[in-house]
Amino acid sequence: MADLTQAVFGVDWQSPVLLASGTCGYGEEYAELIPLDRLGGLVTKAVSLEPRQGNPPHRVAETPGGMINAIGLQNVGLSSFIRDKLPWLAANLSRARVLINVVGHTERDFVEVVSGLDDQPGFLGFEINVSCPNVKDGTLFGADPEALATLVAALRNETERPLVIKLTPNVPDIGLYARICEENGADGLSAINTFPGMLIDIDRRRPVIGNVSGGVSGPAILPMGVYLTWRARQATSLPIIGIGGIRSGDDALQYVLAGATLVQVGTALFVDPQVAIQVHQGIDAYCERNQVTLRQLVGALELPGDPA
Amino acid sequence: MRAPIRQWAGVRTIRKAAEETWWMELDAPGIAASAVPGQFLMAGFGLTQVGAPFLPRPFSIGWTDRSTGTVGLLIREFGGGTRRLARLRGGDQLLLLGPLGRSFQIPNGRPLVGIGGGVGLAPFLFLAAEARDSAAEVRLLYGERTADRVFDPALIAELTGVEPIVYTEDGSTGRHGLVLDGIDLSDDPVLLGCGPTPMLNALEKFARERGSDLQVSVEEHMGCGVGTCQGCVVRGADGSWLKSCTEGPVFDAGDLTWPI
Repeated sequence: MADLTQAVFGVDWQSPVLLASGTCGYGEEYAELIPLDRLGGLVTKAVSLEPRQGNPPHRVAETPGGMINAIGLQNVGLSSFIRDKLPWLAANLSRARVLINVVGHTERDFVEVVSGLDDQPGFLGFEINVSCPNVKDGTLFGADPEALATLVAALRNETERPLVIKLTPNVPDIGLYARICEENGADGLSAINTFPGMLIDIDRRRPVIGNVSGGVSGPAILPMGVYLTWRARQATSLPIIGIGGIRSGDDALQYVLAGATLVQVGTALFVDPQVAIQVHQGIDAYCERNQVTLRQLVGALELPGDPA
Repeated sequence: MRAPIRQWAGVRTIRKAAEETWWMELDAPGIAASAVPGQFLMAGFGLTQVGAPFLPRPFSIGWTDRSTGTVGLLIREFGGGTRRLARLRGGDQLLLLGPLGRSFQIPNGRPLVGIGGGVGLAPFLFLAAEARDSAAEVRLLYGERTADRVFDPALIAELTGVEPIVYTEDGSTGRHGLVLDGIDLSDDPVLLGCGPTPMLNALEKFARERGSDLQVSVEEHMGCGVGTCQGCVVRGADGSWLKSCTEGPVFDAGDLTWPI
């Protein structure tokens, strides 16, 4: 067994593999199918201040090499999350780390969710969703440099826990947003959220997705995620969690070589819940074969022209 | 309810049961052992490929044989994903996750009428087969548009021991009309419906007007099958969205907003 541990966000991680927000519920839903406590951790479904109803169906559909979704951030809201969901995570996960994904319409929404959770047991830190493409104004913070700067600074004032900002890919220069997060006190970045997309039912001449458009995920977006992780790596020294289309250890290693310290597996879970463990095993096999530790591989990409 | 099982399962047999309609039997002992009528499974090709179907597809569990560990699925070709499933042959492998979801809730002592439209027949094959060795009376009403799409009645009888009453919209086989025409309420049965949305809407109106108990199995696009993605929602009676994978697929009709 190779050394796949990481030390980041102030703690040790037994595995670099996490489950992505929106694909693993609040953990409990997959408890019978995935040995969650053997993973690096999981990121919860987004939590907003008030419960959200979400979008009308269809909310999901298959796309070439992936899927499109517009759930609309349906979630139980902050108080129900604290009462009904967080205790399970606290009681059942001891080695896997929990990040709580937080979403809001306004800066105040974000601040209230983070401050409302900060004293609770059962989680490590926050992943701030400034990039959901499926709700009105969902990308506002993630694609507006000034709004992002004030949001990150405001959240930094509320918590000393790890603060990870989940970036949208839908900006011309992701490096700019990565730097803004760093300058305003974020501890890390998640790269990337989904790409906006649309599917049309040509027989009905209507959008397939009830929300009209949605976010595209799955293997089809792997190269974009790897590229944007690499771009973000060049722009900042913040630790990066690589996300987008990972379904094997080899996929995850592309993110690691591009600069990711940790990775998240999302859509692939729907195809095979065992994928998260398989990704870990695949990384392990590569490190064994190459006699390296995972830490030695982070950002170890060699470019044409680099000295050998 | 027992925990779902994730397993690769070999196709035992697949036979054509009607136009673009196939009956597949899979070697899946764990799922066969614990599945209950009304539950479903997700079937897909795993992660080594990204062709359609990339996401697994939900199927009502159509039949089980616990002694041989067999699970039967009724597959109709709707698009690229189901077409590929229909092209499988004996020995091919599918990745299954199941059994999943809420089953039919069967009260003791009352007759059951399974009302299936198209491949909505599937859960009632399972229900009727399960009732075979019990005192429960199960009647099957089965509707299709045309004769060429009617699942072989001899195969239904072989699987379940029940002769379905078949309706076709054009009268090309069986009785001419809609399955609703065949519902006999004289012995106060529990109505169980599965099929296309217009059929379920008509059935709900029929049952409501007559004060009959109705449970329906709904179908919505599904991502995970286990309640995490919240993709497969239907509108509950109070206006909230209910997950058809975990809160359904079988709902008491009164728990939904109609028409669906």
